[in-house]
Amino acid sequence: MAGASDAIFRADPPDALVRVSLGAIDALYHRPSGATHLVAAPVPQILEALAEGPTDAASLGRRLAARFELADGEADLLPALAARLAELEALGLVRREPGVAR
Amino acid sequence: MSDAVPERQAPDGCAAAQGASRRELLKLGAAAGTVVLTVRPGIAQAATSVLNCQIPVPDPGRAGSAIAPDGTTAPAGTQGTFPGGRVFTGEQVRQGLRGGNLPGTGYEESQAYLNYVRRLHYGRSGFTCYASLMVPR
Repeated sequence: MAGASDAIFRADPPDALVRVSLGAIDALYHRPSGATHLVAAPVPQILEALAEGPTDAASLGRRLAARFELADGEADLLPALAARLAELEALGLVRREPGVAR
Repeated sequence: MSDAVPERQAPDGCAAAQGASRRELLKLGAAAGTVVLTVRPGIAQAATSVLNCQIPVPDPGRAGSAIAPDGTTAPAGTQGTFPGGRVFTGEQVRQGLRGGNLPGTGYEESQAYLNYVRRLHYGRSGFTCYASLMVPR
């Protein structure tokens, strides 16, 4: 089952990111780029789940489902997560790697 | 008869909530962008999110409404209003706030849409995009 959904997503090591909660919004200082991002849910939660280790979108979705009551319908979950991951990739907070069977 | 009086029945959801610890609700499919703004060091604050983000006018929660000159929403067809259902990019709005017209609009129509954008607040679709325009240069 090769395809885009097999891509593995990887977050930077935890010490690359300084996170300060501002209430509804988190400030993320990304040491490697020197950029500060103000982000709202579900971004911090996705990064936390990804900090457990690199994984594909489907597995990341299961990690989130184990921690949170997800408001998205089953059919919407993966497309929504893929969109969030694409945003994080564009910011340089997440890297996408070709899927490798492990 | 006394045993015929049922206990107040809890809805299924309550029963489930008692079984599992209450978990925080999380929505992955955010209507608005989840990145409010990005501050990059030492470069002009033309964050890519500003160029690419979108501001629907009005937001999906008020889809079908028209926009009055002061930026409030009104029922479609109200005299003196402009049709909704428009989507502008952050860059288009930024140029509009600097005095230009939004694409495909005349001056008054453009001002109505810009007034709508100025009234956006947290939680409305497009607010995060608008907020990112407010980064001092």
